[in-house]
Amino acid sequence: MSSETREKLGDIATYIIAIVIAAFFLIPLLWLLSLSLRTRQEVYLGASRFIPKHPTIANFEQILSDPAFINYLWNGLKLSALGGIGCLIVAAPAAYAFSRFHFSSRNSLMMSILAFQMVSPLVILVPLYRYMATLGLLDGHFGVTMIYIAVSVPMAVWLLKSSIDGIPKSLEEAAQIDGCSRFGIFRRITLPLIGPGIASAFILIMILNWSQFLIPFLLLSSDSKLPISVAIFAFAGTSNASSTQVLAAACLVAVVPAIVAFLLLQRMIVGALTAGAVKG
Amino acid sequence: MAMSEAALARRNEGGSRSSIWRRLEENPFSWLLPVAILLGIFYLYPIFDVLRLAFTNASLRGGEEHYTFNSFVALIANPVLPDILWTTFIFTAGSVLGQQLFGLGIAVLVMRGERRRLYGMTALRTIVLIAWVIPGIANGLIWQMLFSEAPFGAMNSVLRMLHIAPVAWLSDPGIAMISAIISNVWRGTAFSMIVLYAALKVIDVTLYEAASVDGASGWQKFRYITLPQLRPAILVNSILITIATLNTFDAIISLTGGGPGRATEVLSLYTFNTVFRNLDLAGGSVLSLLMLLISLVLAVGYASFLPRREPNE
Repeated sequence: MSSETREKLGDIATYIIAIVIAAFFLIPLLWLLSLSLRTRQEVYLGASRFIPKHPTIANFEQILSDPAFINYLWNGLKLSALGGIGCLIVAAPAAYAFSRFHFSSRNSLMMSILAFQMVSPLVILVPLYRYMATLGLLDGHFGVTMIYIAVSVPMAVWLLKSSIDGIPKSLEEAAQIDGCSRFGIFRRITLPLIGPGIASAFILIMILNWSQFLIPFLLLSSDSKLPISVAIFAFAGTSNASSTQVLAAACLVAVVPAIVAFLLLQRMIVGALTAGAVKG
Repeated sequence: MAMSEAALARRNEGGSRSSIWRRLEENPFSWLLPVAILLGIFYLYPIFDVLRLAFTNASLRGGEEHYTFNSFVALIANPVLPDILWTTFIFTAGSVLGQQLFGLGIAVLVMRGERRRLYGMTALRTIVLIAWVIPGIANGLIWQMLFSEAPFGAMNSVLRMLHIAPVAWLSDPGIAMISAIISNVWRGTAFSMIVLYAALKVIDVTLYEAASVDGASGWQKFRYITLPQLRPAILVNSILITIATLNTFDAIISLTGGGPGRATEVLSLYTFNTVFRNLDLAGGSVLSLLMLLISLVLAVGYASFLPRREPNE
């Protein structure tokens, strides 16, 4: 067998395996879509109606016309965005210091910041729950946002640091000769130059915040304050076989924003992740 | 020239103040201060408090607190703990192994496809990555719909069409664990794939060319070039995904809720139940310490296998 035929056979095998893998990853989402488009009767027909005979958008109409559901979406978006902005504000100066200053404890400090990422939010929530109760911060978005910021700040520092590493120092040095202060350089030159890096870090953190469950689940109690992730869990607890299609629609609405945000910025996000991965 | 004006203005403010400002600006630690304060309040202090609470009889019900070793004694005497740890071990080992092998397989496949310029490789990578952005809670709910044991559940209705007996995906203790691992692998594989893909990309192609000249087979190249070159990436990835899996909470609570019985009640879920269902703050703090200790031991353990320093650095 010549090497070219062998490569051709390899290509066919590659395609077959690729299709199997794609099916494994897509079918759960397609099943969700399928359920969400069915009537209650068709849900009971199982996989034979994978493609519904009488597709309907009634389930989506039902949840999206519910003001409570829109409010859950809004809360999710608000907490994710505020958490993302706050996180970047705190992380950016630290990232600048790690990139532009040379000090002996730099590497060990960077590693210890990363080590915080390994602590489960559950561990810190055990005592934080009590403090927040004392401070009256339970059941408010402020406390939740602050914890979101703390949880995502280690990753943001690393992402922004690698963005700053990627821009040449010469521009900053020119500004320094002009008499611009460090902070001025950081604000007027460094930050605008890493705009794309900031944007991808922001989107990535927003996606992670959107998925946050434990923090709002523990700290928020009134229904009007819940973000979507907690709301669909609560909804799943009260739903039964006859409302599966509505739960599927709610789930789909909860996951689509994350998927869309990811697809729009896929190149930047994958770039940021792989840059971090290569450095280990 | 706004910048130089600003600089001049600052100089005119008076020597002492501007020199303090200057010194602050040139000190990296003042730049690190916001992160330090934040992590101090929300991580360091809570961790020390967990340590302190573990030696008390604290409860979320309130009441007088005093220091005691009782929670540690209770933990060691707890007949449930060995089961919880075993469950956690199986779930973590299964997930990490599955994500690592599957992630490596997909990364190698995508690399081969890209080398041969096949269509659809970016699409495949994207499809795998989509699962990764699904919120954990939705992940659990989606797989619950797939594993549903009702006659119209996805898996079981397919099995019925093929005339195969239905499987108790979520109500049989052994199978429920496998189901939980499958759902976790589905969501987590993308991360391993992207880490290993990035590591594969930077392997020097001349290594493979030299091996081809020496007549090495595809498997030999994989075994003697790819795997050794990937070793640091595999180890770092192991640290990250092991700890992520240990901390998994949302995907399990929404898939099985820890059941049937305690079959899928991993340590994080057990800790949660201890504190927030049984309101036993001290007992939960001891369990939190156990979680921290396990993460730390594993991270140090994996890290000790890392090469001391990369030769190309």
